[in-house]
Amino acid sequence: MAKDAEKSTWKDFIWNPRTREFCGRTASSWGLILLFYLVFYIFLAGMFCLTMYVMLQTLDDHKPTWQDRLGTPGMMIRPRGESMEIIYNPQMTESWDMYAKTLDNFLSPYNNSLQAEKNDECKPDQYFVQADSGDVKNNPKRSCQFNRTLLEVCSGLEDRTYGYVDGKPCIIIKLNRVIGMLPGTDGQAPFVTCGAKKEDSEKIGELAYYPKNGTFNLMYYPYYGKKAQVNYSQPLVAIKFLNITLNEDVNIECRIISNSIPPGSERDKFAGKVSFKLRINT
Amino acid sequence: MIKNVVLQTTHFFYEKKITKSIFYLQDSYNMFEMDGEGKWNAAYIPFIVPFTIGQFLQDDHEITIEELEMRYTTSVTKGLTSRMASEVLERDGPNELLPPKGTPEYIKFARQLAGGLQCLMWVAAVICFIAFGIEFSRGTLGCFDDLYLAITLITVVVVTGCFGYYQEFKSTNIIASFKNLVPQVKIWKYRKCMVISVCILGQLEANLGLYLGGCWESEPQSKTPECTHENPLETKNIAFFSTTCLEGVATGTVINTGDRTIIGRIASLASGVGNEKTPIAIEIEHFVDIIAGLAIFFGFTFFVVAMFIGYAFLEAMIFFMAIVVAYVPEGLLATVTVCLSLTAKRLARKNCVVKNLEAVETLGSTSVICSDKTGTLTQNRMTVAHLWFDNVIHAADTTEDQSGQSFDQSSETWRSLARVAALCNRAIFKPNQESLPIPSRIVVGDASETALLKFTELTIGNTMEYRERFKKVVEVPFNSTNKFQVIHELEDPLDLRYLLVMKGAPERILERCSTILIKGQELPLDEQWREAFQTAYMDLGGLGERVLGFCHIYMNEKEFPRGYKFESEEMNFPTSGLCFAGLISMIDPPRATVPDAVMKCRTAGIRVVMVTGDHPITARAIAANVGIISEGSETIEDIAARKRIPVEQVNKRDARACVINGGQLKDMSSEELDEALRSHPEMVFARTSPQQKLIIVESCQRLGSIVAVTGDGVNDSPALKKADIGIAMGIAGSDAAKNAADMILLDDNFASIVTGVEQGRLIFDNLKKSIAYTLTKNIPELTPYLIYITVSVPLPLGCITILFIELATDIFPSVSLAYEKAESDIMHLKPRNPRKDRLVNEALAVYSYFQIGAIQSFAGFTDYFTAMAQEGWYPLLCVGLRSQWENVHLQDLQDSYGQEWTYAQRLYQEYTCYTVFFVSIEICQISDVLIRKTRRLSVFQQGFFRNKVLVSAIVFQLLLGNLLCYCPGMPNIFNFMPIRVQWWFVPVPYGILIFVYDEIRKLGVRRYPGSWWDQELYY
Repeated sequence: MAKDAEKSTWKDFIWNPRTREFCGRTASSWGLILLFYLVFYIFLAGMFCLTMYVMLQTLDDHKPTWQDRLGTPGMMIRPRGESMEIIYNPQMTESWDMYAKTLDNFLSPYNNSLQAEKNDECKPDQYFVQADSGDVKNNPKRSCQFNRTLLEVCSGLEDRTYGYVDGKPCIIIKLNRVIGMLPGTDGQAPFVTCGAKKEDSEKIGELAYYPKNGTFNLMYYPYYGKKAQVNYSQPLVAIKFLNITLNEDVNIECRIISNSIPPGSERDKFAGKVSFKLRINT
Repeated sequence: MIKNVVLQTTHFFYEKKITKSIFYLQDSYNMFEMDGEGKWNAAYIPFIVPFTIGQFLQDDHEITIEELEMRYTTSVTKGLTSRMASEVLERDGPNELLPPKGTPEYIKFARQLAGGLQCLMWVAAVICFIAFGIEFSRGTLGCFDDLYLAITLITVVVVTGCFGYYQEFKSTNIIASFKNLVPQVKIWKYRKCMVISVCILGQLEANLGLYLGGCWESEPQSKTPECTHENPLETKNIAFFSTTCLEGVATGTVINTGDRTIIGRIASLASGVGNEKTPIAIEIEHFVDIIAGLAIFFGFTFFVVAMFIGYAFLEAMIFFMAIVVAYVPEGLLATVTVCLSLTAKRLARKNCVVKNLEAVETLGSTSVICSDKTGTLTQNRMTVAHLWFDNVIHAADTTEDQSGQSFDQSSETWRSLARVAALCNRAIFKPNQESLPIPSRIVVGDASETALLKFTELTIGNTMEYRERFKKVVEVPFNSTNKFQVIHELEDPLDLRYLLVMKGAPERILERCSTILIKGQELPLDEQWREAFQTAYMDLGGLGERVLGFCHIYMNEKEFPRGYKFESEEMNFPTSGLCFAGLISMIDPPRATVPDAVMKCRTAGIRVVMVTGDHPITARAIAANVGIISEGSETIEDIAARKRIPVEQVNKRDARACVINGGQLKDMSSEELDEALRSHPEMVFARTSPQQKLIIVESCQRLGSIVAVTGDGVNDSPALKKADIGIAMGIAGSDAAKNAADMILLDDNFASIVTGVEQGRLIFDNLKKSIAYTLTKNIPELTPYLIYITVSVPLPLGCITILFIELATDIFPSVSLAYEKAESDIMHLKPRNPRKDRLVNEALAVYSYFQIGAIQSFAGFTDYFTAMAQEGWYPLLCVGLRSQWENVHLQDLQDSYGQEWTYAQRLYQEYTCYTVFFVSIEICQISDVLIRKTRRLSVFQQGFFRNKVLVSAIVFQLLLGNLLCYCPGMPNIFNFMPIRVQWWFVPVPYGILIFVYDEIRKLGVRRYPGSWWDQELYY
């Protein structure tokens, strides 16, 4: 009995034929309340869109309002491997082929022909400043050429395998783009230096840097953003491991040396430095 | 070992109060000592007597001593043999109350940790641990967040669990208090100074009276060896466990011990009366169930959605956990508890000590108060109320502070009457009380003599000295005809006559009189005066007052010269032909504040039912006096008398008032009692035994009322326990009553209950506001996850941040709402209907969630997108960004400007978003707490700054928010980033919107009561 009563109240709640109520409300009541919420949410959404619109209007197209997080630019390597590990066997082409392909792809925009066509030759060792004069934007801005040949043996032009096949692999290092960043003062260009972590210091062997000294020439800075500087070519540094110990994990850390880039936070392993593992099996 | 207790001393009325006496057990194993306060300390009383469960006592009190000796194989003079005593001890166990088999403490504690919300949080914590384990093994940056979160969740559960357990522990250790009533002696069945039977018992209650014996009533009761009533509880020859002997001596035989005593039964009854859930507990449970259900529903839905969209199982579980954390109002239980304790504190200052926090609100829902009369409604002291002399009834001042009007004292008759009253009185003040006001001095003597003594002290001055002027020659104490006479020498040494003064039952006194004093003249007592006397006597009796007659005579100095030997036994002096002086009537007058309080109850829709052991007429008179029976209300008997028809013919529904005495009540079935309570709004129960209180309470509860009951005696404890809210008297109440009660009235004053009701109602309103405030933010906490899962934007708000909102910044403001003043006169509303007026109703939830909560969500997202866009991530880029954003190996993700971000940089940006969203919720919650100040009135009417606590709570909230944002080290510990100051102001327009919108809502609600707007938007 009690169960029946309970059942019918449940049923009644969902659809009560006597009062013609669905879930405790009649059709008109539902209509009214839904209409209310429709209006309410349209209003809210409208207000949201308006505030968003106003906010977007305040943004500069070429430079973010704040760059709080980007004080120390990140560094990255190519190829990146699986979670910063490059492991391959020179004898097995398929184990390093994808690295070479990655580099081919990555470097294709740097082909001298393309660079010559799109970018200017700039005066090296000084910032390539293209100031706006007052409100008149000096857009689009020009970019400096970074020719693939600057990477010499790591350019992949002469050695299509980037040294992978003979156990002397090239790794390309780049510094993350940050708008307006000036990476060195007093004409001192920042440069990359790589080393092994302590216990691996014996194993790393000799390194070669391209361009020489592993510098990022100042003429590639400052960066003006992808909208103003469409053809910006990010400067690169290639390092070549000349006689790395085989068959062992070698942990390598590269860092940027600059007199104006602050050291990154301890917790960010990629701010101003990059670590990766290299292992060449035989 | 004892069997019989012999108390030696003098006889019992009126001699002196025992301050210290020692009595010995006959076999001298043990000695009992009675200390100066009249409590018995007993080392050990083992016992005798099997007892059939379910029956109060056997007929021990009715049988003869010889039969009793047979029954217990004992001797009233020698007691049990030691061997027998140890056998009995073996059989029945020691004389102590055994606690009922309760739930083991650890299970109770475990239960506190396994409520609906708690289980959800456990699940969430476990998911966190698993996630932590997996992420830690992968070495993911930020995996410790999961660990912190798990620990925080567990801490929250355990802390609230401990709190709940402590609360429960406090309110359930009732049995322990019974145990504290260490057997302290007593039982008597007297026969010529020799006890025949029974013993059990204890601490004499309270501080009253002088008689030997005592019961659990707060009034002392005299005990005699005769069986006076078939009911063992009513008879005078049994003394009960836990009663205290105030004066007198007796011997007795123990008939019951331990759990078999009445108090043992009451203790088990009281602990057996299930702990009824309080209305607020039911409300909160109801609401927690809904919340937990919704949390699981949302969590599960999004778990399924996430799996469907293609998230990994672990990720989907983390979403589930996050949704639970976001949706469950973790701080709510703490808020409710704190609000209730604040009210409890406030009440304590007003003389109501609340033992069980939830009782605070219960008091507000009370619809029936069953009140004792003596001490609660009345002052608990007999006071002279009226006098009849010179054929006029004069009213005396009965107010507690003597602030009332006095009567005309110029008549010669008054002087004579006052002299009789002063002299014919054995009561005396205890010494050294000159500094106290007369009404509060302690007097040695019975209630009516005390009243007369204080009255004469107040009217004619120093009574003690006055008595000394009239040297007492002989006195004849009260006897069966209830009169008392004394013969005095006169004050004037030249007047050698003796003065005989007498007082007693008025009709007896009148029989002995032949003249009457009128305006100082002795007139013959003719029929006319007799009739006048009758009328006055009836009038005073009808007021429920105890009336005494006074007369005197100057004895002829020739017949009774100085030195005449008066014999009180032989009565060798005139006892008739006296001169009638007047009548004095006494009553225990109502407390001054009570009529107002009863009136307030009436306007507040609360029924006050009087339950008293007093005579129906007295009960009725007091009820009428304080307004429990309102002016013009008639009982069935009144109607019958007015219409001159038999009582049976009266339509019961015509009578608003009804006085039922204990005898009638005994014969009524529970249906009849329900019917009586339903049909008569004004009820008085007279001559009820404390046990009947329980019946009355149950009946009221069957009718759907929330019942508050006052009580003081030990045997009130089942009723106190049964009642929705038991109120014990702080002064007169026994420990057992106090322990069974939910609340204790320190001043025993009924008016304090009304204050309690008011506070209870206020806290219900304010809790509603607090909860509405607390619930609102669950939506802006939840929506970030929903958007995160469905639209894949970087996570706008983290779990730890949510916990900071729930458990830190928002606690103080939600508690501060408890300090809000009432919006309207809450004492003019009916008590809430517990089945209909829910704490959290649909309108409240819908309004908080879908309107204010929605606005807050929009505010949060506005601020979030602003912070993202200003740092380089345009809103449209954010959509679908999640998988790249959270890719730990992607260290050069491009933003809308072409800049490249490492994972850690993005993570700090995400923390910035959390903080920004947090700040948005805080800003909106400030607006929210302002709008929650009122539900109907405009905030401008209520006053912005009147609630100082609320203002400081807002300041505190802002300071704490700033501390979290800007304290160094926060980013890596709690994921708070020092955000740009501008971002604090982004949500402000939404805050203003909330305020304005709610003002519009309130305006609509006020302007158009009953309209669609009112129905949908008033919570």
